[in-house]
Amino acid sequence: MTKYNFSTVEEMPPLAFSLESTRMIPTGSWRHVRPVYRDKNSPCHITCPAGEKIPAYFELVRQKKYAEAWYKILEDNPLPGVTGRVCYHPCEAQCNRAGYDGAVAIHNIERYVADKNLQNKKLPAAVESPKSEKVAVIGSGPAGLSCAYQLSRMGYRAIIYESDHEPGGMLRYGIPDYRLPKKILDKEIKDIETLGVEIRTDSRIGGNVAWNELERYDAVFVAVGAGHSREMETPGEDLKGVYSGIHFLRELNAGNVPKVGRNVLVVGGGNTAIDAARSALRLGKRVTVLYRRTRADMPAVPGEIEEAEKEGVHFEFLVAPVGLSGDKGKVSEIELVKMKLGDPDESGRKRPVPVKGSNFSLKADTIISAVGEEPDLSFLPYSFLKKGIRLLVDDDYTTGVPGIFAGGDAATNPNGTVVNAIRAGKEAAISIHEFLGWRSRSNGASHNAVTPEEVNTFYFPHGNRVKVPTQTIQKSKSAFSEVNRTLTEEQALTEAERCFTCGTCLHCDVCMTFCPDVAISKDESGEYVIDYDHCKGCGICVEECPRGAMELIPEGAREPAEEVD
Amino acid sequence: MGQIKYQLPPEEVLAPGHFACPGCGATLTMRYALKALGRKTVVVIPACCWSVIDGPVPYSAAGVPVFHTAFETAASTACGVKAGLDAQGDHETTVLAFAGDGGTFDIGLQALSGAAERNEDFIYICYDNEAYMNTGIQRSSATPLGAWTTTTPTESPKAEKKKNIVEILAAHRIPYLATASVAYPDDMISKIRKAKDIRGFKFIHVFSPCPPGWKFEPEDSIKISRMAIESKVFPLIEIFHGTDYKLSKEPEGVPVRDYIKIQGRFRHLDEERIGIIQENVDEEWERLYSKCVPTTQAHHAGSGEFQGERRSSAALSIRETDSAKKKVQSARR
Repeated sequence: MTKYNFSTVEEMPPLAFSLESTRMIPTGSWRHVRPVYRDKNSPCHITCPAGEKIPAYFELVRQKKYAEAWYKILEDNPLPGVTGRVCYHPCEAQCNRAGYDGAVAIHNIERYVADKNLQNKKLPAAVESPKSEKVAVIGSGPAGLSCAYQLSRMGYRAIIYESDHEPGGMLRYGIPDYRLPKKILDKEIKDIETLGVEIRTDSRIGGNVAWNELERYDAVFVAVGAGHSREMETPGEDLKGVYSGIHFLRELNAGNVPKVGRNVLVVGGGNTAIDAARSALRLGKRVTVLYRRTRADMPAVPGEIEEAEKEGVHFEFLVAPVGLSGDKGKVSEIELVKMKLGDPDESGRKRPVPVKGSNFSLKADTIISAVGEEPDLSFLPYSFLKKGIRLLVDDDYTTGVPGIFAGGDAATNPNGTVVNAIRAGKEAAISIHEFLGWRSRSNGASHNAVTPEEVNTFYFPHGNRVKVPTQTIQKSKSAFSEVNRTLTEEQALTEAERCFTCGTCLHCDVCMTFCPDVAISKDESGEYVIDYDHCKGCGICVEECPRGAMELIPEGAREPAEEVD
Repeated sequence: MGQIKYQLPPEEVLAPGHFACPGCGATLTMRYALKALGRKTVVVIPACCWSVIDGPVPYSAAGVPVFHTAFETAASTACGVKAGLDAQGDHETTVLAFAGDGGTFDIGLQALSGAAERNEDFIYICYDNEAYMNTGIQRSSATPLGAWTTTTPTESPKAEKKKNIVEILAAHRIPYLATASVAYPDDMISKIRKAKDIRGFKFIHVFSPCPPGWKFEPEDSIKISRMAIESKVFPLIEIFHGTDYKLSKEPEGVPVRDYIKIQGRFRHLDEERIGIIQENVDEEWERLYSKCVPTTQAHHAGSGEFQGERRSSAALSIRETDSAKKKVQSARR
């Protein structure tokens, strides 16, 4: 700016005038609250048992970087094609968009990303340098695969012992094809093997492989799952035509279609019961599910129950089996008693109590009993602490025996779902890593998530949730072909656009746009810089931030640490 | 679909360090106006908040020449500045009169009307914070019905409706007239740019919330501005030649109550009086809406275009005749 030097009064202009910029005035001293950029966790990420970084991979999907999005998911979950199909997606229930115009269809995007990478041979490299320690994993179900995979990423040699002929555990033998085609599972297991995990099939610990052999390993992870059907504890269970749900599904998945009559009764209300019922329906039978509580109490995933009903499965609630009777050793009739709900039990649900004198009988030629599964732990050589029928483990998946960890359905897995098993495997891998003397990178992330109130919905025009393409059983070519389809690219992109990306700054410039003090700018790397010499702390940037990635803190307070994983 | 984003001109003409209160709408208005007009601009400011905001001598925030002038003279001073620039052969520099509602609706109305009637070639932006805020929140004729100010205390809040300055200016048949809001910066900037390219008198009425005067937390400035639009309290429109009305944004039609409830200046109002305000807003909206061109959808916020330079003003055509031009030239000599 030109400097004026006036030697006489006459030289001065007739009016007072200003030549300096107010930039010299530090109006930041007026401030009593200070805006800060602070990425926060999204509710979906916090809710996801596997801890998938959902906002991050959604952003990659929006940029059509599908391989990168896949790698992002693989950091936490080696089986996105599986969970994209069978996960009960608790993330969606917590989605901040749920109360606005419907939760984002997160699991459909996960599946889209996985399917988009079915042919992708380029896998992400291990994140840490190779280590000398070896870890044995017993069981190749979701918990075992997840643990071995994470260990392998950390540089360990992980060897899985699988008693069956093919790996996958319940994923292979428990979930029917119409929900999870085998080729998806095969592909994702193959990827895990490519990354360095060795899977030894037909190797039963305590059978053809002695427990002692495991002593060569530095740690062991027990993830044998719960593959043993509980009994109904009613007389006549050994009659012909009575199957356990697990056995029925197992035979079917192994390609040996079990002999079933025309009239199939399924006892139980869990996912196994529903899977068995829908499978029997696909064999062309009339199927009725008998459950001793009400529909709302069913432990099965609600969406699966709805689909079963739509396909034509019948339901009878508040009935329990009393006995089975047969004709020439073959089941022909089931005696049932009506139930009513009493006081709540330890699960918080009302306990069903039999109604005296309400017994009645139904004709049936096949009974599938699916009243619960339990692990078979008879192979363990010394007595582990147990909680009920399962192995007792601490929060860090340690058993009482040093070096032996356990997780998944064999241990105290909260709800017996695939994704919780994946979480157990991942977290156990971190525990094993620490047990072997390394420090884990986990940072004790906070569990505070962006609330719906922190999202500024003005910036998000309404848009309906994607309608997932389905193929009804009546229309499908083969009875066991997959019911739900993968989204098209257009659908996936539209749906990904619906995501608020809660808590993660996307550099949308809204904060900069509305700053009355011109105190926000971008540096060379595109990051925002707040000019605290001039920011008066009005808070407009924080209030207007579409996704809750900013915060107002009292002036003088220490800047809080980032809270995201 | 996807998130709403704004593409504003990157250059920041306005400097930080100005004396506006936190969350000031008038300051955002100036920031957007200068982004739209660029550095080749002279601003004329009468007595108003901006007399203070621009900074004490020897400092100035605007980043362009600012002429501070008396309360009633924004329009006449701007005429003079424009004439002075013309005399120097500078026909490029934009002259912007930037006045509050007091200096526009009340004290400066005579000069404003004169400049509009003569179709003087400059832009007049009125940043309307609905009272004399700078002097201590006294009511102006822009203060809305039912509002508290220090001169309309809660026992007897303002009993009169807000003066319809837009209709007054429309009656002058000026070439371009628009309303804008700090909550829709892209719309405001495109309207100011449009005004820049039109010869003659342009008037832009900007809704500029005032946190201390309206009694709300400064972070809610944009939210309140947005609600004023969505509740039809302050419709976003353009009027060409005083007769062609175009709606810039179809409001969602949220209840006026939602807008009123978040401002302390309306806290004393009971449901009945809020109902009266709602009726008043609806009535005004119906009247305005009936004048708007039906194809509102074609004119989304910020996308309407001005078809060349139509000169409906007889005065302008007369001034533009060859003999008139010669006269002007000889007068200048």
